[in-house]
Amino acid sequence: MANNGIGSSKQDNSSLITQTNLECKNLYEYLKNQPQNVLDRLYIHPAICLAVYRELPELARQYVIRILFVEQPVPQAVVASWGSQASSKEHNYVTKVLTDLNVWIEDSLPGGLIGWMLSPTFKKNLKAALLGGGKPWSMSSALDADKNARDVGFLDSYSSERWECVLHYMVGSQQQEGISADAVRILLHAGLMKRDEEDGSPVITRQGFQFLLLDRHAQVWHFLLQYLDTVQQRGLDLVECLTFLFQLSFSTLGKDYSTEGLSPGLLIFLQHLREFGLVYQRKRKAGRFYPTRLALNITNSQNKNAPILEEDSPKGYIVVETNYRVYAYTDSNLQVALIALFTELMYRFPNLVVGVITRDSIRQALRGGITADQIIGYLKQHAHERMLTADTKQPLPPTVVDQIKLWELERNRLTYNEGVLYSQFLSQADFNVLKEYAQSNGVLIWCNKEKRTLVINKNAHDDVKKFWKKYSKGS
Amino acid sequence: MNNIELPAEKEPEITSADEISLLVVILDTNPTQKMLRDKQNQLTNIVDSVVAFSNSHLMQKAQNKLAVMACHSKTSQFIYPGAKKPLDVRQVDGQYEAFLLVEKTVKQNLAELLASESSTAVTESLLAGAIAMALCYIARLQRTKPPGSKLNSRILVVSGSGDSASQYMNYMNVFFTAQKLNVVLDVCALDQHLSLLQQCCDITGGMYLKVPQITALLQFLLWVFLPEPPIREKLVLPPPVKVDYRAACFCHRELIDIGFVCSVCLSIFCKFSPICTTCHMVFKIPGPLAVKPKKRKLKL
Repeated sequence: MANNGIGSSKQDNSSLITQTNLECKNLYEYLKNQPQNVLDRLYIHPAICLAVYRELPELARQYVIRILFVEQPVPQAVVASWGSQASSKEHNYVTKVLTDLNVWIEDSLPGGLIGWMLSPTFKKNLKAALLGGGKPWSMSSALDADKNARDVGFLDSYSSERWECVLHYMVGSQQQEGISADAVRILLHAGLMKRDEEDGSPVITRQGFQFLLLDRHAQVWHFLLQYLDTVQQRGLDLVECLTFLFQLSFSTLGKDYSTEGLSPGLLIFLQHLREFGLVYQRKRKAGRFYPTRLALNITNSQNKNAPILEEDSPKGYIVVETNYRVYAYTDSNLQVALIALFTELMYRFPNLVVGVITRDSIRQALRGGITADQIIGYLKQHAHERMLTADTKQPLPPTVVDQIKLWELERNRLTYNEGVLYSQFLSQADFNVLKEYAQSNGVLIWCNKEKRTLVINKNAHDDVKKFWKKYSKGS
Repeated sequence: MNNIELPAEKEPEITSADEISLLVVILDTNPTQKMLRDKQNQLTNIVDSVVAFSNSHLMQKAQNKLAVMACHSKTSQFIYPGAKKPLDVRQVDGQYEAFLLVEKTVKQNLAELLASESSTAVTESLLAGAIAMALCYIARLQRTKPPGSKLNSRILVVSGSGDSASQYMNYMNVFFTAQKLNVVLDVCALDQHLSLLQQCCDITGGMYLKVPQITALLQFLLWVFLPEPPIREKLVLPPPVKVDYRAACFCHRELIDIGFVCSVCLSIFCKFSPICTTCHMVFKIPGPLAVKPKKRKLKL
């Protein structure tokens, strides 16, 4: 029998490759993995309901708002009839998301029909956020006017200075002060940095490089998610911290908020946020704090194209020309270091750095674990205003974009599939039968008639084996 | 070699617009509206519904923008964002600060507007003017928006006034301007059908709805007018009504089926006049139609 020919199974490399890439979850993915009771406790707070609502897919938001004011379950068939025929796939996805997040729950109607009903806590608190009612959020106690009031400009420069401090530390710029052991621990925990084998000092990892190329919003969100992972070890309450974070994200820039009534745990959390520049506090005991732009709309990471406020648009500084030259109008060491990740620097002036994108420079970046999309994304995101006004659709020269992508494709000429090798068939007929079967099920990866070997998708191995046993018994 | 592509399971592509969407709500607050005079608290109810609806629009996405206008008997005004410095609000209950700000500003500015109303003369609402103002506002935001971003704008008119053809020309001008600017005009009629505004929904691709029950106004607004135009395709919404495309004549402002049209400037008249009142073209008085002499066909 040829069944002993189940040889070596191919090593699966694709998973190894993807694993090393930076995973930036959005709020939905984060909450999906939270246990039910945590979700229920989260939905007690209007701020979280609001944040969750905004993260829902477009269609889901419409569904929720339609049944927000309905006091009884709505039959599932009725909900399904809201969407048009063409979008039924999206409808199914939306239903799944809403169920995953426990936003709505199944309930049976008197007539035996099954209906959807918003989770009572979620409904109550989303209504509160929209229309009012309930208790004020924890940080909005009344305050007298601050005699040391800070304006938006000050807060912006403060927050970017604090945040860049963290990034500077990551790229290993000399200055080591200004960053606490706590922040280093989070960077290590997040895998953005790792301890050097020789002297134990933290060095940046490939995820760290990818992290640097993200836009500011995504950086903050990713960093905070990693921070929240470690929250329980610090003896802080996850729900409490998340709630506070979302309240912060829905606060108004340039306004002061009170620390009165915050629990000791939250005060510690506040000090951590202060360190990363998410809030500004003049003194530790000031009794008030100002949220900065970093803290606002933190969950809103997927819509990086649309700035929320007019003055929010980041100041672009990069010009890319069709001759692959990159001009970066900057004097920040950090930005220069980032540009140098994927270009060959040519000249450096006090306010300008000129580099050129070459095959080697890009390949070096790709070897470092950065993807072409990340490079292009970075260039696009920081494109100079002049680049944007020329043609709003495509700020970068298409030739450069395509070439960077081609250089990446050069490296990915192999695709990996996990499979099981079948070989040493006794007859050509046996081989043909199994090949036909695998082919008809779409699980055949490769076959060779002369050598009578074939490779089957690993997931289908059991099924094919069963078929083979049945077949060989019959013959 | 036998390469077979494995069927990859993909999640359905979920479209979500990464753009700023601006909603301008025009609320007809003219005190001469019949339904406002009939019931004492009607205006409060309507304002509450409209504010809740506006806040739901802001709730959809952090990028969404909102403006609310009051269209009064003599003037139209922006009541959110107001002309003055934004109010300094502090949370009083669980409501999100930004929503509270909208509610407070709208109510305060509206109260001021109503208090300044002195004369009791019956005039019709200046809806066309209000729409024009809204279009100007949209055009200004379009100009000042950050480079590289996209602004989708729409206007929602909420009115209980009756139909009137006296502003016909102004209406047509704003409708076609809106169409040119890619601004969608939605109309929510509270009391009577508004046939002229139906035309504008048809021209700009908006929704028209006459609310059957004023008590359920909020729910109707949320169902029909909250979805953005791109998402409307995915939802089953009331089908478009048959639009009455009758034009109003320029002489008496009456809707007519058949009339006279100036061959030079295309002005419409319900009765024949020898001089066009718009372009002063002089026409001959039509005599009996001359019978054409029959042509003799050439035979080959």
